[in-house]
Amino acid sequence: MSSRDINRANFINTKLLGRKREPIDVRSEEDPEIENIMKTVETETIIDREEVMEACVKLLNEPLHVLDKDFAAGGLTFAFNSSMPPQMVALDASQAWIVYWIANSMMMIDPSLLTNEIKRKIVRKLFLMSKDNGPFGGGESQLPHIASTYAAINALALCDNIDNCWNKINRDAIYKWLLSLKQPDGSFTTCNPIGERDTRGVYCALSIASLLNIMSDELTEGVVEYLQQCQTYEGGFGATRLGDEAHGGYTFCATASLVIMNKLNSIDIEKLMEWCAARQCTEEMGLCGRSNKLVDGCYSFWVGGTAAMLEANDYHGCLKKEALRKYILNCCQSKTGIALRDKPGKNGDFYHTNYVLLGLSITESKFYYHGDDKTNRTPFDILSKSLSVKEVPSGLAFINPVYGIPNESLQEFHEHFI
Amino acid sequence: MFDIEDYKDVEPLPLTQDVTNEEELCRIMYCDEYKQVMALMRRMISKDELSVRALRLNSRAIELSPAFYTAWNYRFRIIEHLLKEETQLQGEGHDASYMLNKELDWLDEFTLNNPKNYQIWSYRQALLTQLYPHATFSREHPIMDLMLDDDSKNYHVWSYRKWCCAHFKTYGQEMAFTERFIKRDVYNNSAWSYRFSMLKHSDVDLDQELQFVLDKIEYVPQNISTWNYLGGLLQMMGTSDKLVEQLLQFSKKYIDESAFAYEFYARMSKLSGTANGKDVAQMYSHIADIDPIRDQWWNRKSLQADQGK
Repeated sequence: MSSRDINRANFINTKLLGRKREPIDVRSEEDPEIENIMKTVETETIIDREEVMEACVKLLNEPLHVLDKDFAAGGLTFAFNSSMPPQMVALDASQAWIVYWIANSMMMIDPSLLTNEIKRKIVRKLFLMSKDNGPFGGGESQLPHIASTYAAINALALCDNIDNCWNKINRDAIYKWLLSLKQPDGSFTTCNPIGERDTRGVYCALSIASLLNIMSDELTEGVVEYLQQCQTYEGGFGATRLGDEAHGGYTFCATASLVIMNKLNSIDIEKLMEWCAARQCTEEMGLCGRSNKLVDGCYSFWVGGTAAMLEANDYHGCLKKEALRKYILNCCQSKTGIALRDKPGKNGDFYHTNYVLLGLSITESKFYYHGDDKTNRTPFDILSKSLSVKEVPSGLAFINPVYGIPNESLQEFHEHFI
Repeated sequence: MFDIEDYKDVEPLPLTQDVTNEEELCRIMYCDEYKQVMALMRRMISKDELSVRALRLNSRAIELSPAFYTAWNYRFRIIEHLLKEETQLQGEGHDASYMLNKELDWLDEFTLNNPKNYQIWSYRQALLTQLYPHATFSREHPIMDLMLDDDSKNYHVWSYRKWCCAHFKTYGQEMAFTERFIKRDVYNNSAWSYRFSMLKHSDVDLDQELQFVLDKIEYVPQNISTWNYLGGLLQMMGTSDKLVEQLLQFSKKYIDESAFAYEFYARMSKLSGTANGKDVAQMYSHIADIDPIRDQWWNRKSLQADQGK
């Protein structure tokens, strides 16, 4: 591995995605005396966690921080007005994601940041990523991809209907393409012929189809059964039905898919709640994505959003919002570069900025359904209102936990396609 | 080896931003080599050139941009085509293992340098299922071992291993495999989850398995992985009176040092009938005190118990 490759890998892991690559650390036999006093064994898991805990507790002891919206807005606006450095080539196949993360963060902070000029640029950029105005790829001249199409549709939803851009979306082509990605077991592949087949594909497909009003029985056939098989003995959901470990990202995808189909009752909800509740770390106050893994700001949305969907369905109590809010405000704000981060010691990035802000909005909101008709509920009936927070509310937009975009944009986009 | 001179006759296919002066949103400042390699690859994809030199260019493109899924898809088409060509040349019944192993070797090395990449695993699955009927599970072991040694909770690798077991219908060593990781780090939930998914494929005696997890709890009582595993195992074994009684006594030993133990104890008390709704409600209220971050959750459980749910 050349040093350039190493730099690159490190850059991708720490700077852009903020995902942790754990050090190799094989421990020798533990000292039994220490074991008796500590009641823990010094393994990789404990050593890594203690380091994070220490950094978090220090910040959590400080008075509640306030969201520095001006700083965040400055970084986001700068990103939309300049070129990206060469290292960003790591996201060359995720350009629709970059656009969605930045635009959505702006919308949450202050919709006026997303000027008409920027909206036009977004629209132009996104349609470059598609040969026939949908489906979308990760960049120009790239194959259509289900996650890119998901991100592109979400980003377009934020652009009003500027210059009639919503009418340009080729819903027929997208529908036919989604069907071509459908697998016999009820899942969707992300790309043909080579792609991942997991709950992520299912969520992207159903999110796109429900937003564009192209849902059909053919599209959802077998999906509920597939998702049921992905729920594990721990209560959360894994990537595939072979029994993969319960994980925050996949649990969000499965839950949101069920909510879109109004089929939440087909899984073990009590176990799911228990799993979500267990994700909140006692000392750090934030959420982790799997049992015995580290806290990470992005799960404020993946797990927090799952809890918000449960709450809308009258399943309360699996998230202590006030504590999560404190983790976000005190531990996830970066004073330099991009505003929001995974945890103390990490740099901020666009991915975390979007999901941490979504999570923060969740901690300051109450979720419920509009109307009492439980049998015909749609995800667009989910509403949210302000939860009285003790200290200054951050004043972010209210968001829909199924789609991860502000309510207002969502309603407008949805109504356009009815 | 990759040599840019081999592509002199290929006319690069530029991106829109290369030919217009318009400032594109979030335009990435590609380095010169990246621009050149990608422009050549775009042209070759558009011409559907499936050749050895296309494969070399593709390797370079993937090295420069590991998550570029379009390149992985192109690569698959190239390998598929080259394989067909070779078989035609050598005649029916020709064993193309050499060529495919070479491809897997390349992929192994690439994987080691890009542990968090998504595309490697689906590409590998496609190779094994669609092009390589003679593949073996043992060929897959070293790369998975190396990857898990480096990051013992790598989600993709555990998931891929599970897929391999199903693909090769081989489950013989899996329980022992997880034990290695559990021994190294008893909190490794990936290893515990994997073990759980393997239970139904192994001939392990469930009573013996019960003892295995009880020993690990005794070793460290405050560990969510082992208590969750015990809960899953109990569901699998069925809640006989004898077993519930055994687990009631077992969990009771640890209620002072583990909230997980206390929760389990409350569940067993309810199941065994040794405590009524009010008692169980009180237990959950107590857990709310010792586990305050989840007090809303435990209070909910307390209320449910009180109402006889």
